[in-house]
Amino acid sequence: MNVIGAAPEQAAGRVSAPPAAPRGGGGLDPLRLPMRLAWRQLRADRARLLSAIAGVLFACVLVFMQLGFRSALFDSATKLLGSMQADIFLIHPMTLVSFKPETMPRSRVSQALALPEVQAAVPIYLAQSTWRNPETGRRRAIQLVGFDTEVGVMDFPGLAPLVEALKRPDTVAFDRRSRPEFGDAAKLLAARGPFDVQVGSSRMQVVGLIEIGPSFGADGNLVMSELNFRRIAKERRRETVDLVAIKLRPGTDRSVAVARLTALLPPDVRVLAGPELVAHERRYWEEATPIGFIFAFGSLMGLVVGMVIVYQILFSDIATHLKEYATLKAIGFGNGYLRRVVLSAALILAVLGFVPGLLLSTFLYDVVGKGTFLPLMMDAGRAGGVFLLIFSMCGVAGLLAMRKLADANPADMF
Amino acid sequence: MPLDRPLEIRGLGYAYGEGALRKTVLRDIDLSVEPGEIVLLTGPSGSGKTTLLTLIGALRAMQEGSCRVLGQELMGAPEAARVALRRRIGFIFQQHNLLGFLTAQQNVAMALELQPGLREAERLSRATAMLGAVGLGDRGPSRPSELSGGQRQRVAVARALVGDPGLVLADEPTAALDRQSGGEVARLLRDLARSQGVPILMVTHDPRILDIADRIIAMEDGRILPTTRAEAAGGG
Repeated sequence: MNVIGAAPEQAAGRVSAPPAAPRGGGGLDPLRLPMRLAWRQLRADRARLLSAIAGVLFACVLVFMQLGFRSALFDSATKLLGSMQADIFLIHPMTLVSFKPETMPRSRVSQALALPEVQAAVPIYLAQSTWRNPETGRRRAIQLVGFDTEVGVMDFPGLAPLVEALKRPDTVAFDRRSRPEFGDAAKLLAARGPFDVQVGSSRMQVVGLIEIGPSFGADGNLVMSELNFRRIAKERRRETVDLVAIKLRPGTDRSVAVARLTALLPPDVRVLAGPELVAHERRYWEEATPIGFIFAFGSLMGLVVGMVIVYQILFSDIATHLKEYATLKAIGFGNGYLRRVVLSAALILAVLGFVPGLLLSTFLYDVVGKGTFLPLMMDAGRAGGVFLLIFSMCGVAGLLAMRKLADANPADMF
Repeated sequence: MPLDRPLEIRGLGYAYGEGALRKTVLRDIDLSVEPGEIVLLTGPSGSGKTTLLTLIGALRAMQEGSCRVLGQELMGAPEAARVALRRRIGFIFQQHNLLGFLTAQQNVAMALELQPGLREAERLSRATAMLGAVGLGDRGPSRPSELSGGQRQRVAVARALVGDPGLVLADEPTAALDRQSGGEVARLLRDLARSQGVPILMVTHDPRILDIADRIIAMEDGRILPTTRAEAAGGG
């Protein structure tokens, strides 16, 4: 009896308090309290929490890697065109992709120059040839890029100081970011100065390094003058070109220039602004090859697996606590409150899995990027996008698991 | 609005199933509970007393008759009104049904989350005071798994009473307990209800706790037996 001695005073004090006067608490309680309950429930079973986090993390890393590879491959595929930094390009309307170009008459270059907006127009020659590794003697396909190096339309990093050297006969500049199977040109240059290599059936001299990067079409690149290009690609006719790069006078409106060039030139050329050509090339890889689909499918699989794991965890959480949920319903908690608990649990898992997933993926980008020479880069846009995907994935899992709440029938409690 | 009777039932009937399988479990029930009264409901299993309790607790939809609980007519009441009414009733179940991942204090405080405008500190201090009143003032931080059966049921009593309910409904709260802790929980419930002036309607089979009742109602075959014993120990 002494145990409850204090009860009457307490009761009296409580009864006098107005039961529903809003004070303190705050308007966020309807969200905060279910979330706190969800967190307490998740936290109580460490093993289950860890496996749920591992599931989300797995999905997260899978999606990051798939999206990373996808955009790295597309980026690298358009690397050569992107780094040409021309304002406008002319291509043959039938050209699907730059490494398999249709040619157009060289006279289109001089025709384009007739337009006052055009400051310079350079014909570009593209061809595939082979490169004999100076260290091992193995031959490997390499992309040749020939153009008038002097005009200054094309601006690959490292090109400027090599312009004079590239004017000499039989000289080339080697892409330092080519795959290592081509041999360590940088080391050879440092050790011996310019050195000779066999390109196709010609002997050429490597005089320096530029930077482009490997792509789908080419594991490595060689840049050279127009004249030296024809020495290697002997079968190419002088009067046909693969691509024309145009630089406009400063202050010219690019879209106006594109329109005027289109009107001026015959229909055997297509006039594209620089970014348009990059997009055109990218579209080829996305649409005309299964690559885009493969990575989208991989990402989707990651999300599905992650969703199933989160759903399983939430579902079994509800199933094992069905009695408690029914009790909460019996004592007056509405369905909305319990749904918010389940959804909160899903979203907590999304955040807890995403953060380590982001860190791990950033680390893997670094490691894998170095191993594959693909430009794998974590950026805020992708991180945000993947977070939204993971968030939705967990949200859908939560919505699915929520249906189990209907089994918690408060009338069964008595 | 002053309520004369917390519970008033007239002509209540209830049946499970449809068509040929329809089975009537409650027929023509008249029952009322006075303010502060402790009423025990006994009877063999299958007599319909638990169904009656779930109807009064607004856990089931009514079918026939009238049932006014704390001023709310339950016949035809929508789900939202029933959920709102449940917040004003203190439930005690056969099993404690505490949330295993919450401490005793958090379990009790949870029942107060239904009352708008309370600050967390108020919820916790009221929960602690209530735990003190059931003799578990020092067990607030314990989880249910760390408590004995009798202690858990006392936490459940605290949870039912912390929100100042207008009516307490209990379904064999001592069935899972041994003689001594069962008796303790029953007397604790009685004393707390008396001090708060809360009426209790309790279904029980337990002959050891009949002494807490003001009135005992026996049920059989879905009816209330006419021989109700209106007098019980300590009433008044």
